[in-house]
Amino acid sequence: MLCPRCDKDEGIKFFEAPKDRSWELYRCQYCDFVWRSTEKDYIKNKDLYHPNFKMREDEMSKMMDKPMVPPLKKR
Amino acid sequence: MPYKDLRDFLRRLESEGQLLRVKKEVFPEPDIGAAAYAAGQISNGPAIFFENIKGYDKKNVVMNVHGSWRHYALMLDLPMDTPVSQLFEELGRRWDRFPVSPVVVHTAPLKEVIIKKDINIFNELPVFRINQYDGGPYLSKAIVISKDPEDIKSQNLGIYRLQVKDKDRLGIQAAPQHDIAIHLGKAEELNQPLPVAIAIGNDPIITLVGGMPLQYDEDEYEMAGALSGEPTKIIQAETVDLMVPAGAEIILEGEIVPRKRAIEGPFGEYTGFYSATMRQAEVKIKAITRRKDPIIFENLYIGKPWSEHDYILGLITSVTIYKQLKAMAPEVVSVNAMYCHGLGTIISTKSRVAGYGKIVGAKLLATPHGLVYPKVIIIVDEDIDPFNLNEVMWALLTRFRADRDLVLIPNAPGSTLDPTGYPRGLVTRMIMDATTPVPPDIPLQDLSLVEPPEEAAEWMEQLKLMGK
Repeated sequence: MLCPRCDKDEGIKFFEAPKDRSWELYRCQYCDFVWRSTEKDYIKNKDLYHPNFKMREDEMSKMMDKPMVPPLKKR
Repeated sequence: MPYKDLRDFLRRLESEGQLLRVKKEVFPEPDIGAAAYAAGQISNGPAIFFENIKGYDKKNVVMNVHGSWRHYALMLDLPMDTPVSQLFEELGRRWDRFPVSPVVVHTAPLKEVIIKKDINIFNELPVFRINQYDGGPYLSKAIVISKDPEDIKSQNLGIYRLQVKDKDRLGIQAAPQHDIAIHLGKAEELNQPLPVAIAIGNDPIITLVGGMPLQYDEDEYEMAGALSGEPTKIIQAETVDLMVPAGAEIILEGEIVPRKRAIEGPFGEYTGFYSATMRQAEVKIKAITRRKDPIIFENLYIGKPWSEHDYILGLITSVTIYKQLKAMAPEVVSVNAMYCHGLGTIISTKSRVAGYGKIVGAKLLATPHGLVYPKVIIIVDEDIDPFNLNEVMWALLTRFRADRDLVLIPNAPGSTLDPTGYPRGLVTRMIMDATTPVPPDIPLQDLSLVEPPEEAAEWMEQLKLMGK
């Protein structure tokens, strides 16, 4: 399944509503975006997802670490 | 202690007409976030208790629990319409009882159900997306408990946003200014996981102290005891060596994975903007202990001020800074750090020497909160109430001289959530000293204040009577 945020074909269904299976939850294995089947189309559909919040691979690799990982201490 | 747990406080809110039960079925998105936002926009808006979440049985959600000054007053067991200035003074008085040691108990409802296999947060909590472009569901009001790996007596409680990424995996914002980042840094230097416990659905004072910018070695449980008037009850977590609040609804136990960062966010934040997506730490959940169903999932709506976030953190941050500043500068009279989590802070003070306002501003930067947050700092005289923005503006416009009273500190640390950072996390801090110049400084051109007419007070009473 295509991830609405990063467009990669990495979406998987990973949970169903405990009651009546009334919705499913999906997760992108690449960018960790999580969405529910009952959300609005502009959340679930990659073509409708807001361009400001799209995730591009080249941007992801440049993102800041928070907090920075410290150097290992010598034992 | 006025309330032993969240349920106790919710009963009080309901009895005072400050809790609204939503019995109809609601969708996790967008209903809960939308209703919580709406509650925050209503003057003295109620807490919202959702009884029927689509897809869940016996799982409740409560929002806006701290979302008005009325709730704040009730939390402190004060009359519901206690003015904010009196809430400030009362918190200051209670602070002086610090430290009040917690008591350890050996049984608590949060041990009724213990899960150590097949961890699935989505089974246990009806988590939901709060704002529409958040990267996923978030725990926005949970208390994260951790210890300094080099000093196991040093335990910290803090509210850090947690993105629910998978059944047993959370993203965590451990910003460098937060105590947990010190714990994490020490663990990561040794390539060791950092054990954490996450307490959800707490008595309102525990949530309050979780947001206090205390000194690193000050214990939040001891502060909770001081603010509530009774020792806080704590209990040993099941699988990690951490003490958790005994009144909580549910505890997630696990560890922060060392030296790993992964995509987290965006998340609608207290600035009113979505935070950037960054690579942040992750928590692996290994056990869950909780009350029997129906449990109550307490969460927080956060966005453009004012929201519940500003009620929870605004006043207690002001009191904390006041107490810390007062220890360094006894002339300080009051502090208002209620705007955007203290990005704007107003301090009233007497002047010990000429130019003293600038020194008070600099001392603010030396407090734990001052490390990154206050960037627009206004210093006023003792005759100005920093909570009265009309008075603050008057002081700025009649006492502040830009050429002599403005201090800019460029390239200073700032919150990475501040959209003015350039680059992100670096800002220019500004101190505006709007105190009246004292010798040997050059005096103002006019020094004689227009005093109110002597008979004004009497007339005020008469006019009030005429208006009835």
